[in-house]
Amino acid sequence: MIRVALRRFAQALLTALAASLLVWAMLPLAPGDPAYRILYSQTQKEPLPAEIEALRHEMGLDKPLPLQYAQWLGKVARGDLARSWRTGQPVAEEISRRLPATLTLVGLALVVSVAVALLLALISAAFRDRWPDRVIRVYTQIGAALPTFLFGLLALQYIVVGAGVGKVLSGGALQMAILPALIIGIDRAAGWTQLLRASLIEAQEAGFAQVARARGARPRRILLIHALPNAALPFLTAIGVSVGALLGGSPIIEELFTWPGLGSYTVAALSARDFPVIQAFVLISALLYVAASLLIDLAAIALDPRLREAHP
Amino acid sequence: MTRSWPNLSPARAVAPDALPGAPDRRLLKRLWRHRSGRRGLILGAMLLALTLLGMVWTPYEPDWPDYTVALQGPSLAHPFGTDDTGRDLLSRVMDGAHRSLGAALAVLGGVFSIGLVYGCISGLARGLTDTVMMRLADVMMSLPGLVLAFAVIGVLGPGFVNLLIALIVADWAWYARLARAMALGARDRPEVIAARMAGVPRWRILSGHILPGIALHLGVVASLALGGMIGAISGLSFLGLGVQPPHAEWGAMLSTQRLYFAIAPWLLWAPALMIFLSVLASNLISNALRDILAVEGRR
Repeated sequence: MIRVALRRFAQALLTALAASLLVWAMLPLAPGDPAYRILYSQTQKEPLPAEIEALRHEMGLDKPLPLQYAQWLGKVARGDLARSWRTGQPVAEEISRRLPATLTLVGLALVVSVAVALLLALISAAFRDRWPDRVIRVYTQIGAALPTFLFGLLALQYIVVGAGVGKVLSGGALQMAILPALIIGIDRAAGWTQLLRASLIEAQEAGFAQVARARGARPRRILLIHALPNAALPFLTAIGVSVGALLGGSPIIEELFTWPGLGSYTVAALSARDFPVIQAFVLISALLYVAASLLIDLAAIALDPRLREAHP
Repeated sequence: MTRSWPNLSPARAVAPDALPGAPDRRLLKRLWRHRSGRRGLILGAMLLALTLLGMVWTPYEPDWPDYTVALQGPSLAHPFGTDDTGRDLLSRVMDGAHRSLGAALAVLGGVFSIGLVYGCISGLARGLTDTVMMRLADVMMSLPGLVLAFAVIGVLGPGFVNLLIALIVADWAWYARLARAMALGARDRPEVIAARMAGVPRWRILSGHILPGIALHLGVVASLALGGMIGAISGLSFLGLGVQPPHAEWGAMLSTQRLYFAIAPWLLWAPALMIFLSVLASNLISNALRDILAVEGRR
């Protein structure tokens, strides 16, 4: 088991390194000279060739690419994420101020969606094809057909503004995160409910469940003790994917709720093509996602004995 | 983006062997006999008709402002109401349909073609080429699709075509992996071995025996992703990264009109309804497809 876990850990490190290479490569891959763009966006005037040359030298853009990558990686490892091209402020400072808000929202939304999906899927599987199941399936169909931002827009319009619950503008504090997290979580739970319901029903019909039923176990016991642990694994993987989707979707989500996190910082940077900010967003989301997948895979290895042997 | 499938990538949830019942040409018929498949097909056909109609005719000029009727609620003359510059919302969602749906189809077509070619080359080449190609795909797959999409938009800048490129870059690797797995499996199928023994040239085996099966299978997998893709595109357009004004697109309409929702809630209805119905139609069809292809064998 330790060997499998260590192998998985090494794999995560390699992935993180590859992701960093990808993020760094954004700058050389982008059309146009970065030095020119920085000077132009700060002064709004055509820069002199000598100025461009000086800045290129200062940024190390005249060095060979592998050396540039090594220097960039060294800086990033020390927590230096360069300065924003628009504002000239250090990106790392702004990010350290905004990251907690994003993590709060993503974490809380994840908790809500997992709790809702678990509860509804259990009810759905217990009352299969009876009315609670039917109601829940209508919810999952609707929820799955509404993209999160659209569900959020509708909820803001008709629940929050219409009924006067809560405030639309949010400040990044924990209490303020509850409403957006509920909205995101309830929408995202729809897909997971469908998934977990299907795997619960499959597990309820599996051989071991039939044996338990033949031995006189009650349906509730079969569902909770026999089926649930076996259905948990696909669910665990689903959580991992969800972390990625929430992090990747954070610009959309945070723009919607005017949430002062990493995502809304990135939205402004995207249209201005403020590279250090975009790079920081991509890098941090990628690293968080790699870390989350690692944790989830380790949990899966710990939970499921089959996985300890399966990987050669 | 929330779908019944984890995010942009359906291939993530559909393992290479998850569609054991090989898709064939009677698929449409079987879809029609499936309850949710039929609902999805009917709804989809209606949306398609509206889209095609919107490309040639709309009740009003979709991009032409008429300030005399600005911000009017639904009426007989304007069934969905008008926006802040008096443009008819029905005309705009009809005109926007071919951008919203066309974009989703274009991205799926892109990931399908790239995945098919890349995966087949990788799977049939084997050896070092295969290893290197698949490592690259693995790196792409180990990052969340939307994060990759934002990275590409960062490099290329915002814009409709760039948005499509970004979503293709975000997702192609899943299809490449699937195509490779199928190409590996296809080499050892009886009819392929028989063809090889009969002396059929390699390119004919590839084009006549291996590719069509993989293409059909991969096409079905790609179609499962349609709903998620419509959602993803409308979400990114909502950020203003897609279609640029004055052109209509559902996500972009929600984004530009958002300020007025409090006083004119009908601005929200038309695009929201169109997005909802299109994703619903795609989900109904893909649920039916999954039922038909994966479960049929066991029942």
